[in-house]
Formats: sequence, C-alpha cells, structure tokens
Amino acid sequence: MSARLPNVAGVLGLVLLVVWAGSDLYRSSLLVTMLTYALVALGMYVPFVLAGSLSLSYSAYAATGAYAVAIGTAHAGWPLWLGMLVAPPVAAIIAVVLGAATMRLSGFYLGAVTLLFAEAFIQLLGNLGVTGGPSGIVGLPLLSFGGWEPSPQQTVLMAVVLTGVLALALDRLRRSPWGVVIRASREVPIAVDTAGVSVSVLNLVALGAGAAIASLGGALFTTYVGAVNPETFSVNVIFLAVFMPLIGGIGNPWGAVLGAAIVVHLTLNVDSLASSGTLLVSLSVLVILVLFPRGVLGFAGTAARGGTTLLTTVTKRGART
Amino acid sequence: MVGLRAGLRGMTNPQLWIAVVENGCFFALLGLAFYFNLTGAGFFNFGIGAIAMAAAFTGSWLVTEHGLSRPLAGVVGVLGAIAIAVVMELAVVRPVQARGEGELSALVAVGASLFTIIQLSGLFLGHEARSGQPFWSTAPFSVGSARVGSTVVPIVVITAALFTLSYLALQRTRLGRLTRAIGNDTDAARVLGLPINTARLLSFAAAGLIAALAGITFAGRSGVSPDNALHWTITGFLALVIGGTGTVWAPLLGGALLALANVFIPFYFGGDVLAYGLVVVAMLFFAFRPEGVFAPRVRV
Repeated sequence: MSARLPNVAGVLGLVLLVVWAGSDLYRSSLLVTMLTYALVALGMYVPFVLAGSLSLSYSAYAATGAYAVAIGTAHAGWPLWLGMLVAPPVAAIIAVVLGAATMRLSGFYLGAVTLLFAEAFIQLLGNLGVTGGPSGIVGLPLLSFGGWEPSPQQTVLMAVVLTGVLALALDRLRRSPWGVVIRASREVPIAVDTAGVSVSVLNLVALGAGAAIASLGGALFTTYVGAVNPETFSVNVIFLAVFMPLIGGIGNPWGAVLGAAIVVHLTLNVDSLASSGTLLVSLSVLVILVLFPRGVLGFAGTAARGGTTLLTTVTKRGART
Repeated sequence: MVGLRAGLRGMTNPQLWIAVVENGCFFALLGLAFYFNLTGAGFFNFGIGAIAMAAAFTGSWLVTEHGLSRPLAGVVGVLGAIAIAVVMELAVVRPVQARGEGELSALVAVGASLFTIIQLSGLFLGHEARSGQPFWSTAPFSVGSARVGSTVVPIVVITAALFTLSYLALQRTRLGRLTRAIGNDTDAARVLGLPINTARLLSFAAAGLIAALAGITFAGRSGVSPDNALHWTITGFLALVIGGTGTVWAPLLGGALLALANVFIPFYFGGDVLAYGLVVVAMLFFAFRPEGVFAPRVRV
C-alpha cells in the first residue's frame, strides 16, 4: 500500500462523514463523539504505538481538556476557544510529571499505576468545588470568536479539520527521523540509548504530546455539549482509548481515527445492537489481537496486495495462453 | 493528647480489625491467584478481578433469579471461572504471546479479556449490584464489643486452606516444581522438553479457582457488580507486588498491608484520601521495591 494512500483515504473518509452528517443535529453529535474518541485515540497512539509505553491515564488527560475549557469559561470568563488553547499544555505538564515519576516502570507496573492515577484524578475532579463536584459544570456559552458564533455544522467542520490535520501530522511525525528513533527505542531501547539519544526523554516527549492531543478531545466534547461532569470520563474511556488504534490498525495514525469511527458506530449508531455494542467492540479487539494484529487497515492492505498479486498472476497466465 | 487518644481509638477498635482480617484475606486470595499465573505462565493476569467478579455475580444471579441453592450456584460459579480462565489462556493469551511481541501485547490481550468479561456480565446478568450469595456462611456472633459477620470465619478458613494447599502443591509435588521451573525460565524449560502448555493451563485453572472462591465468599459481605472487576484486579495485583513473589505466602503479607491501608486510611483521613494514597503507595513500591517484601532468592 502506498504511504500516501491511508492519508488520502482518511481525508476522503472525513469528508464523507461531514456530508453524511449534513445539518442533522443527531448525526452531528455522533460525529463530534467520534472525533472526540479519535483525538483521544490519536493521543494514545503516540506513546502506545510509537514509543511502546502503555499509559492508562488517558481519561484523565481528556478530562483535563474538558475541565480546562469549562473552568476557564465558568470561573474566569474566558471564551471557550481560549480553554482549548490552554488545555494541551496543562495536560502535557501533568503527563510529563506523571511520566517522570513513573520513569522506572514499564508494562504491567506502568499500566497499574497510571490506571490508579486516572481513577484518583477523576475522583479528585468530583470532589473539588471549582470543578462543580459530582454534578460538574453546566450551561457553558456557545463557541464564539470575537462575536462570530459558528453554527453546529461549522463547529463540526472545524473539529473534522483539527482531527484530520493531527492525523496527517502524526503520520509525518511517524516517518520523520524523530519518529524512526522513537520507534527504534520501542524495539531496542539499549541501542538507542547507546547511540546518544535518551530514551527516557523520548518517552516523556511522547507522553506529553499524546496527553496534549487527548486533551483536545475532552475540550472539543465540552465545547460542543456545553457541560462536563466526572462521569463522562469513566474507565470505559481508558479501555476504548487503547482499543481504537488496535481496531483501526496500529500501522498508521489513521487507524486510530478509523477505530474511533467503528467504536462509535457500533456503540451508538446501530440501534439493533443497543447495549451489546460495547461487548461487540471488546470481542472485536480480541479477534483482531489474535487473528489480525495489524487491525482493519493492515488487513485491508494485505487483502489489497493479495488481490493485486492474484490479478497480476491471472493476467500473465491469460497473456501466455 | 486529644489527637493521640483519637488515634488510639481507631487502632483499638476491634470492629476495624475484623474488617482488616476480612479484607486482608480477600486481597491475599486475589494476590495468590496472580501468583499462580505468574509462577506458571510468567505474567500478570489482569483478568483475575473479572474472573472473581464473574463467579460471584453469576452465583448471585442463579440464586436470586433462578432459585438455585447457594452451594450449587457456587459450584457453577467456580466451574465457570475455571472455564473462563482456561479459555482466556487457550484462545487469547497463548496465541498472542506465541507471536513473541513482548509484554505489551499480553497486557493488552488480558485487558481486552477483562473488558469483555465485564461487558458479558453486564449484558446478560445486568449492570446493577447484587447481594452476594456465598456457598458457606456462619451465624454472626460477637467477640467483646465487635460483631463478627457471617462471612468472616469462612473467608479466614478458605484463605488458610488455599494458602496451605498452594504451598504444598507448589513446593512438595512434582507438578508444582515443574510449574515453578517453567515460570522461572520458560525458554530453558522448552529446550528441556518440559510440558509447558500443560503447566500453563493448570496455573490458569488454579488461578481461576482461587479467584472464584475469593469473589464468591467476599461478595457475601460487600455485594458484587461488574464495576468491581477492575478494582479487584488492581487490588490483587497490588497485594502480590507489595508482598513479593519470593514465596507463596507473600501475597498474604501484601493483602494484610493493603487491608490495613484500606481500613485505617479512610478512618483517619476520609474515603477519598485512599484513592490518592494508593497511587503514592503503588508508585513507591513499583519504583523502589518492585520485587516486593519477599523477593525471590537466586542461587549464585
């Protein structure tokens, strides 16, 4: 599969989703939910897939983005967009501090600590006065840029552009020298360290960048819905953040976006599945882990290559006869 | 002086110590289930909490919705838990680990299994909490000013029995030594032609059995819902990591220390502080003493 094909297909897919949503408010809200998940999954992609470090704090980072927007607007009188600008650096700082504190951990130990941190963080949000406690913050104003208030469709379009740009940027990053080094550090950390590149610093940068992207997901959701509470960022968000890149395919950041689309479709858009959608998602992950470890995009690539080879063989045989 | 008196009031409260014993036994049993998986398969099975929850939740559902007797429902719960553990090994963990992609894939695989068990339980048995239906309970009685609940004696007896049996099985039987050898160095065991797959399967089944007994018995006091699965997993993992992997008795110490924190931190500082305190305790232990209190001894 050409390196550019996933990018072209990804952008085309997002355009089709915008057309599908049109001016339908229900579809628009589904699309925003999907983009929220996509941003969280893209954030998870950086440390999880590129650096090989499984931090399970992504519900906390998404919550940081959501509450940065809500607190800034409700208590400081900021416009919503300013909260969206503040959220990524705040989430990145939290992730880097947690990453530095857990630098000596990996695998199951890192997973357990970051999971405990996420739970404690969400509990903290439910206990503070500034966050509105368990009921959260409601009644936020509409998005506004110096008096111009975009319509819901325009807001969705901006979110689509943001997600698309980030997916493209992460794909570039993955193939850049930095991306090659961090992927090498996942496989052979000692060799990378010996070459003079600090693996610890690479991991911290990956954690910070991932948290910043994930926080935009939370910020987007709060901006669109106009409210936030701790329940929004349940344990399910953590699991889904890990599952979405796996479902879509870990070979490309667009896999995370595709994974988010599949998850939202199965859990929210197919009426016949109702509450079994989440079960279907988790079963899909198990099947993918066992049978198709490169996810849907990887399977599609393999199938496309197989089809091309078959077509070439048939054509050659036809020419001989 | 007043502060000291208030401090002593908690430490001398027998009711709190009974809670420590009961919680400690439960945490220790979950830690023991983790220990079996670590010993026989060389990795942490994050599905343990979900298996314990599924056994307790299914048993409770069978008793309350279908009128089964508690012992029969308990047997079904235990057998179901063993089946889940075995299927997890055969259908998920073994194929994923066979690809040799390292620890991360195995972690994601058991995480996905845990999530699947939670979803399956919620979909078919409901998401609401149910009262536990332990297959064995005693009449509540009093010791001084403290009331000993119906599940305290059973969980203490079951804990003592399972730890003793585990010790005997792992230290005194050929199969136990084989399991430990495989867990210590799987590659060497493979070169020697030892039956790795059989030992792994047995360790998963044993872990499922222990987790199920723990879950069913403890649910008699706390109730059970699918939401418990993740907390029980983390608790069992912490009990093992704090206690260490050097001896089969180590999770007992880990469970006891965790239970002390679980009971006395909320008593003195409030319930919310426990969540923050656990993060700090876990960070410190994992970073500075990841081998736990009882570390494995290596002959050099």
